[in-house]
Amino acid sequence: MRHKWFSPFALWIGLALCLLGSTLSIPPVRSLIEQSMTWHMVVQMPILFAGGWFLMGGGWDLTKKSLGSWNQFGLTGFIAAQLIITYWMLPISIDRAVVMPQVDVFKVLSLLASGALVQISVSRSPVVLQLFFVGYTVSMLISTGVFLATTERRLCNAYSMESQLSAGYGVVALGVALACAWGFRINRHNP
Amino acid sequence: MAKNSSLGAEGLASGSGLWKTFLASTLVLALGLIVLLQTTAQGNAFTTETLRRTEVANAPSLVPELSVYDADGNQNTLRQVLAEGDKVWIVDFVYTRCQTICVTLGTVFQQLQHQIRLRGLDDKVGLLSVSFDPAHDTSDALRIYRDRMRMDPSIWRVVTLSSPLDRRQLLDAFGIIVIPAPLGEFEHNAALHLVTGSGRLFRIVDYEDATVALDTALATAP
Repeated sequence: MRHKWFSPFALWIGLALCLLGSTLSIPPVRSLIEQSMTWHMVVQMPILFAGGWFLMGGGWDLTKKSLGSWNQFGLTGFIAAQLIITYWMLPISIDRAVVMPQVDVFKVLSLLASGALVQISVSRSPVVLQLFFVGYTVSMLISTGVFLATTERRLCNAYSMESQLSAGYGVVALGVALACAWGFRINRHNP
Repeated sequence: MAKNSSLGAEGLASGSGLWKTFLASTLVLALGLIVLLQTTAQGNAFTTETLRRTEVANAPSLVPELSVYDADGNQNTLRQVLAEGDKVWIVDFVYTRCQTICVTLGTVFQQLQHQIRLRGLDDKVGLLSVSFDPAHDTSDALRIYRDRMRMDPSIWRVVTLSSPLDRRQLLDAFGIIVIPAPLGEFEHNAALHLVTGSGRLFRIVDYEDATVALDTALATAP
């Protein structure tokens, strides 16, 4: 019943976002994420997450069912996605993704995976558990963003202070957007 | 739960075998924490800058043998410059056109020079400014910089790379990342680098802690 009308559509959106997100890591477009922390953290990373989310939303019931017993209540998937997102909030990881191509490949794959994992997990997860993980991520995004925007210290050697400042506001906006998206979803599923 | 069937019931319906999920979650959590600890030097370094400082403090590294020239146009290698006078060196990285962070660094070095002269430490501690912009910083530019900074050549020296091709190697060895900024400027991580006369980089100190840098240098000086 779930998303039947939505499935092929989601698949195409997912593919497009995956392609877009990965392209941002390839020269010459790569200069965007190399020069702007906002393009890196606030544009590319969420696009990759969303790419994974929509791609998995296209209806891969086989994966969902066969691995279901390892992911009851979506617990495993949520924990994995949470760790991946936390990892890419660290200034040291962001720097590495800019400087080391192999780390950047890992970034693209892991963020796609995090979106897919949340997609698999959220539908089998009780609202309380969703609230825990989404709430944690939202508060992490907002506090990280505020910290980036207010600290006097340049946290990434790869980005300028101005870039860090604007990325900070962007990350706060991401947190708010995530909270809204989740609220919208809950509202749709529990009218 | 009834109206929430699409969200929660699937998980509940799977019934037994919760141990699998428990096992998988624990494994994922452990793996994730290991990766996070690995990346952050056991939780000590959340930025590249702190990692660089931790690594250098734990395992001093030899600076590369690169050809440099000074304000008088004398060619030498970086290690030969450091070997002169059997001192510990406080090294910073600049480019002479810099209007931002290097000005601060310049002031810090001037104060250090003053301290060294005042306390008669010039046979123990030396100051070395290394320009990472050899394309613009000719010996003439270095000379102008030297005069502007009022460097005392017996305490404070300035050099730049003989070959712009060595830039990458120099910056990598000290962990400096230089990024182009508006108005032809560069933005770079600035700090005070303590190097022994034998060319071993053994400590990186914040430029706001010049006193700590001087004390550490003195404690290590022969």
